[in-house]
Amino acid sequence: MNVIIGTVLIWGAAFALLRHIARVDRAKLPQVWRAARATFLVMLPRTVIGLSGASFMAALLPKGQMAALFGPEQGITGILLATVVGAATPGGPMVALALSATAFKAGAGTGALLAYLTSWSIISLTRTLGSELALMGPTFLIRRLILSAPVPVMIGLAAQAIQASW
Amino acid sequence: MATDFDPIENGPARLPPPEARRFRVDFGLLFIASLSLSAGIAVWITQGPGQFFHLLWGDTAMILSLLPKIFGGILLAIALSMILPRDRVLRLVGPDSGLRGLVIASGAGAVVPGGPHVTYPLAMGLMRAGADAGAGTAMVSGWVLLGLNRVLIWELSFLPGWLVALRLVLTLWVPVAVGQLARIWARRVPLPDDAHPGHRR
Repeated sequence: MNVIIGTVLIWGAAFALLRHIARVDRAKLPQVWRAARATFLVMLPRTVIGLSGASFMAALLPKGQMAALFGPEQGITGILLATVVGAATPGGPMVALALSATAFKAGAGTGALLAYLTSWSIISLTRTLGSELALMGPTFLIRRLILSAPVPVMIGLAAQAIQASW
Repeated sequence: MATDFDPIENGPARLPPPEARRFRVDFGLLFIASLSLSAGIAVWITQGPGQFFHLLWGDTAMILSLLPKIFGGILLAIALSMILPRDRVLRLVGPDSGLRGLVIASGAGAVVPGGPHVTYPLAMGLMRAGADAGAGTAMVSGWVLLGLNRVLIWELSFLPGWLVALRLVLTLWVPVAVGQLARIWARRVPLPDDAHPGHRR
């Protein structure tokens, strides 16, 4: 259902823009079409392969044990572990947040939890492999990941310090 | 809305070079293919061919349902990049837009709803119309880290409010900082045109 609503909204916006272009300069419509088709054809194989790969990876992960991974560990070890687990968590918010909620109830530290959520947000395999790699290109993606890599650990440490001072 | 620009002057509207329209095999495709293939083989070995095909058919159904959305998003991005007044985009989120441009881009990423099939095409459309790699990175980072949609719908229903608030406060500066670093990087080593045909940077 969500897919249908999203699709209708996107196409509605696209049609509004196309109508605007048609009013201003009709000759440009074929150009839009050609550019969109070319982009779509480049993206298609990458998206199909990326999404399948992400779901295979999701099936390989021991989700039951992942929450326990960053449960009892405290300090920098817990935060680093949570960062790695977050980076490896595929799928949408449902998977990652259900996992966080489980870990939270099991007594995971605030630092580890936020490191996990941040790391998953930045990398989320389904999103990066399914769309970003194809649309934004590998260089854009790799640079963003490199520049964001220290962030989960920094946020985890900050959260831990704040929690300790409460 | 009044349009005080000439789209013929301002619209990029450049056609991709002919060679870009052919099927391209590049690093991105090889990387993703080898990763997916290894994962697929591992599923086949550890969980059997039944599970392998079950996942594969599930993916096929999902991708088929996503295709119209993906194509719509691309159409939106390309139409947008032709309509947007290049001089204004440059001023707002171009290479010389400063921290203000990065804040605008991050905020746009955080506020725009719709997920990957809206935000990536939008970032791509803006970059075609004059936004730099810094603004593009800030926008994507603003969405993945601060996306309001996800915070309101998902995070708050799974986690206590104070934890979500703490995460947001601690993360607020990140998209702008990552965007600034990406901008400096792109100034030294410009992003290559490796994303898709007709991509202008």
